[in-house]
Amino acid sequence: MKKKLLSLVLAGCMIASLTACTSSNKTGESTSDSTTTETTDTKDAAADTATDKTAQGETSAEGYEIALITDIGTIDDKSFNQGAWEGVTQYAKENNKTYKYYQPAEKTTDAYAETIELAIEGGAGIIVCPGYLFEEAVFNEQDKNPDVKFILLDGEPHNADYSEYKTSENTMAILFQEDEPGFLAGYAAVKEGYTKLGFMGGMAVPAVKKYGYGFVQGAEYAANEMGLSSVEITYNYTGGFEATPEVQALAAAWYGAGTEVIFGCGGGVGNSVMAAAEANSKAVIGVDVDQSPESDTVITSAMKKLSVSVYDGIKSIYDNAFQGGKTTTFSAANNGIGLPMETSKFTTFTTADYDAIFAKLAAGEIEIKNDTTESDAKTAINALGLKIVKVDVVE
Amino acid sequence: MEYIIEMLDITKEFPGIIANDNITLQIKTGEIHALLGENGAGKSTLMSVLFGLYQPEKGVIKVKGKEVKVNSPLDANDLGIGMVHQHFKLVHNFTVLQNIVLGMETVKHGLIEMKEARKKVMTLSEKYNLFVDPDALISDITVGMQQRVEILKMLYRDNEILIFDEPTAVLTPQEIDELMNIMRNLTKEGKSIIFITHKLNEIKAVADRCSVLRRGKYIGTVEVSDTDKEMMSEMMVGRKVNLKIDKKEVKPGEVVLEVKELSVKAKKEGHTKNIVNHVSFQVRKGEVVCIAGIDGNGQSELVQAITGISGMDLGKILLNGEDITKKSIRYKNTHGMSHIPEDRHKHGLVLDYTLGENLVLQQYFTPDFQSRGFLKFNKIDEYAKHLIEKYDIRSGQGSITSARSMSGGNQQKAIIAREIDKNPDVLIAVQPTRGLDVGAIEFIHKQIMEQRDNGKAVLLISLELDEVMNLSDRILVIYEGEIVADLDPKKITIKELGLYMAGSKKEEVKHHE
Amino acid sequence: MNEAKHKNMVGLLSSIFAIVVGLLFGFIVLLASNPTQAVPGFFTILTGSFTHGLKGIGQVFYYATPIILTGLSVGFAFKTGLFNIGTPGQFIVGAFAAIVVGIRGDFLGSAQWVVAVLASIAAGALWGLVPGVLNAYFNVNVVIACIMMNYIGMYLINFIVKGSKTLFDSLRNQSLSVDKAAEIPKMGLNLLFPESSINGGFFIAILAVVLIHFILNKTAFGFELKAAGFNRDASKYAGMNEKRNIILSMAIAGALAGLAGGLLYLAGSGKHIEIVDVLASEGFTGISVALLGLSSPLGILLAGLFIAYITAGGFYLQLFEFSTEIIDIIVAVIIYFSAFALIIKTFIERFDKKRNGGK
Repeated sequence: MKKKLLSLVLAGCMIASLTACTSSNKTGESTSDSTTTETTDTKDAAADTATDKTAQGETSAEGYEIALITDIGTIDDKSFNQGAWEGVTQYAKENNKTYKYYQPAEKTTDAYAETIELAIEGGAGIIVCPGYLFEEAVFNEQDKNPDVKFILLDGEPHNADYSEYKTSENTMAILFQEDEPGFLAGYAAVKEGYTKLGFMGGMAVPAVKKYGYGFVQGAEYAANEMGLSSVEITYNYTGGFEATPEVQALAAAWYGAGTEVIFGCGGGVGNSVMAAAEANSKAVIGVDVDQSPESDTVITSAMKKLSVSVYDGIKSIYDNAFQGGKTTTFSAANNGIGLPMETSKFTTFTTADYDAIFAKLAAGEIEIKNDTTESDAKTAINALGLKIVKVDVVE
Repeated sequence: MEYIIEMLDITKEFPGIIANDNITLQIKTGEIHALLGENGAGKSTLMSVLFGLYQPEKGVIKVKGKEVKVNSPLDANDLGIGMVHQHFKLVHNFTVLQNIVLGMETVKHGLIEMKEARKKVMTLSEKYNLFVDPDALISDITVGMQQRVEILKMLYRDNEILIFDEPTAVLTPQEIDELMNIMRNLTKEGKSIIFITHKLNEIKAVADRCSVLRRGKYIGTVEVSDTDKEMMSEMMVGRKVNLKIDKKEVKPGEVVLEVKELSVKAKKEGHTKNIVNHVSFQVRKGEVVCIAGIDGNGQSELVQAITGISGMDLGKILLNGEDITKKSIRYKNTHGMSHIPEDRHKHGLVLDYTLGENLVLQQYFTPDFQSRGFLKFNKIDEYAKHLIEKYDIRSGQGSITSARSMSGGNQQKAIIAREIDKNPDVLIAVQPTRGLDVGAIEFIHKQIMEQRDNGKAVLLISLELDEVMNLSDRILVIYEGEIVADLDPKKITIKELGLYMAGSKKEEVKHHE
Repeated sequence: MNEAKHKNMVGLLSSIFAIVVGLLFGFIVLLASNPTQAVPGFFTILTGSFTHGLKGIGQVFYYATPIILTGLSVGFAFKTGLFNIGTPGQFIVGAFAAIVVGIRGDFLGSAQWVVAVLASIAAGALWGLVPGVLNAYFNVNVVIACIMMNYIGMYLINFIVKGSKTLFDSLRNQSLSVDKAAEIPKMGLNLLFPESSINGGFFIAILAVVLIHFILNKTAFGFELKAAGFNRDASKYAGMNEKRNIILSMAIAGALAGLAGGLLYLAGSGKHIEIVDVLASEGFTGISVALLGLSSPLGILLAGLFIAYITAGGFYLQLFEFSTEIIDIIVAVIIYFSAFALIIKTFIERFDKKRNGGK
């Protein structure tokens, strides 16, 4: 019996030691690029603010004041999670606050709520929820935790069946005016000298539609300014947000037919467009965040300045100027959208040009039609009243 | 005379049983020493102790007079002990040569050096008359050849003491003769052989001395030349054994099983010859019809076609006059056909089931053992106990013993109990005594004859010529898928039968009376 | 000791040992990634759910529900000699059937959830049936057929959901929420475990465990299936209908995985079918559960609870300085090693054999 037990333990240890090396290597790899740096940052920040915090007496020494809950994607998703996280880290570092992100166990309202509660248990006083997926969870949690401030990006709190919308005093809902960055992108493209444009949206959801409508109107505006006689835009909703061979083939066909630049609007659709552009040496306009790191073909991106909005939101809380209880729309007027001119690859369209048109937008001098109620794409585009730009809607 | 191996006072216990109780075995240099005993007598345990697989509780092992400790088969190999297992341990898609060198490869510059190995193997095979084609794949050569490869493996490792574990169980009569010659050659060259068997004929033919074990105990060692078979079998079984079967005169009644023009086509591509070719015969009430033939002449396929385990391409099968050609196995099972299969592990038993569960393997769904979908476990248990008692099936824990842990003889008894207790009209028994010891064979022969005497039809398929001659009322010889003779055992000799089986003699093809 | 009891003991022992090895190794990873917090972190994994009161325990039951069922699906098929790797497909098809009834079946009134659950069982059974039929009649390898059915299921469901105006929430790129009446009633569990997502689905899962246990061990049908699992040739020899058994066995396994999907998506926790090209992880977790539970229904129940418990513990580990990736690795490592129960069992049996001579 003794012998048997001993051999078993030995066998167990052998297995463990055998696999130990491989797995710890893996650990090292997976953390090296993103996570380790963050955790050490966090530690530094925690150390720096140790005195600060005890003075404030708000959180325990172990806690994290500012929390971000990821939706099911990872923190480096090059989209909402990452953009919002950048805002969180920027503010926290500048002001010596502790911060951390939490990941829900699964993609359900309950799991989001559970994670929010975990963050609160972890000492969070401010919780950033990047994306509309959190609408219901925030709706449920905001009243349960009146002392905690919620920043909800790209959505407004409501209950499960959309029958009740409520943004409590401790919650700041942030929406973006998507037609404006779309407008800027269209404007810049035509100003840059492109006359054959493409718009490839994901699913025909309001946000995507707004980008699209803004895009064609921006092109029209530029064409008008420049006195061009014709600008062509091929326009399509792919019906999904994934990168698929079909989307890539369609984009390649467009490029082949003479389209010079395509606005890839919607998650993986953009990646498919980029793949096609790389093969054809053509240009792409990115969406939501600065997508220039993803491909050299990205000349600019129609951005929601997620980090700016998150940064501003957090700052307002500490400045006692929190805009709770209502929805704040980020647009050109509050510098919540824009094109990343530092990384843009324009040759003729200058920063001065950009500043000028941006100022006009911010001042409200340009009216962009953005009614998304019409479901038929052709009818909706016709209703925009374009004169120079010819939009070919591909069904 | 000097002993090359001595196992003195070996005791090996397992919980509940003493497998080896104070056993002494002494092997002289250059002799063939038979180790005789029924299944479960402790032969395998004793050899496992010698081979380093088990450690004995008591006793010492001496090799060439020196006390040694054998902790693993590797130690045994170092001591010059090699074993040909009952089930060969060969890699089928390797060549003969590769199998022989396996584990002993000479490596030069990181590459396997085969030249010298080949030379050594060729020398060995000539020296001992063990002719093999070193480049043939194992999967392509006969069982007899495979056994030679196993022997060469031992010789290649320079083993002095060779253990043969039931080596003849898988061989044809001709191959057995050859093996006997090989064994004699080996001892001439100074090797010592331990020959585990329960076949008295073979001991008589080849062994110098014989040690007998019974139920874990050492019974004695005899000089083979001084004893007769009867005495050895008495030592082995512990009582007088009746190896002769008294056959009562029974007049065959009406036809129970009729096979008409049955053919099974070759499954392998390129083969055009039928495996079973237009076979027709009848089995009547109260007669034992035996299909004799050398293994691989279509017997297995014929039986599997009749019982429905695998398909047939042409022909008809009638049971009690009813055409059952297209009926399911279950229909046949429940309408008077019993089948003792050739391979008891593959077909006969679910080894992970208990003995009780195996005993109702074909009847669990009947109202006796099942109601509304639920099994009546107490009824199953009761029935199992009844069969265990009636057929003397020995097992560790009665009906809840897992079938896997039972000895081969008792496994076979369980199958026979199950098949006979169904009270079939026709009993199809395929090599029912394969690999069993005298006691079990006697028992099974008795059961089969009882069926016949009770007016049942018996179809026996056997490779053992003694069995064929002793049991059958009629012998059908099968050769290359065809019935080549219909013989009366009283009118022919074993020699003649052998000639028919080898295909060198053919009766006038009388298709069916 | 009685042989059957002894076998069970060996099984339990090997599972426990596998878990210990898994935990040990998880601890090593913890140590490697952050030595100072490894001990409290490890403690949190072990006790996490209990430190969060009844809610925490409720969550464990909630997370355990689908994986117990997918584990049961794999384990049941395995007992009958088939490797059902098609659980992700059966799971999502079951989920789909459930939400179709859950969204469109408002005319069913209070029976809506029952019908939805039944629909998930039927759909899963169908998805398991196909590989069964292919294997029985055309000798197509079950594993390959199952893998194909996984992808067919996933893409088909994505395609149907996306294309259907009545099922699809285009704003969120996922299926619409099911009607309130289609959510599985809490059956009083919300009172016992306040605020957790637990619901009556857990009872249904337990019921399924008991049912499968009975089928396998008490019925003639189970006798046949197990015989085929242990020795297909012998079951054929004994006259059991091999083809029928393969098909039924796969259909039942599929039904269980489908039920898992139905229960999860009807749980009322806000789960929706997302249009993503990823096979349902609950299906694959089922394989681990079945391995750890050594394919016995009761073992699977415990294994499912354990894995859910560890997963929940990992979630609470976020309170410490561990990045989520590390946590994922730790939880995966524990589950991974726990699934070695079978290997450890063979180890034990071999030692046993050496001692007892297998007699």
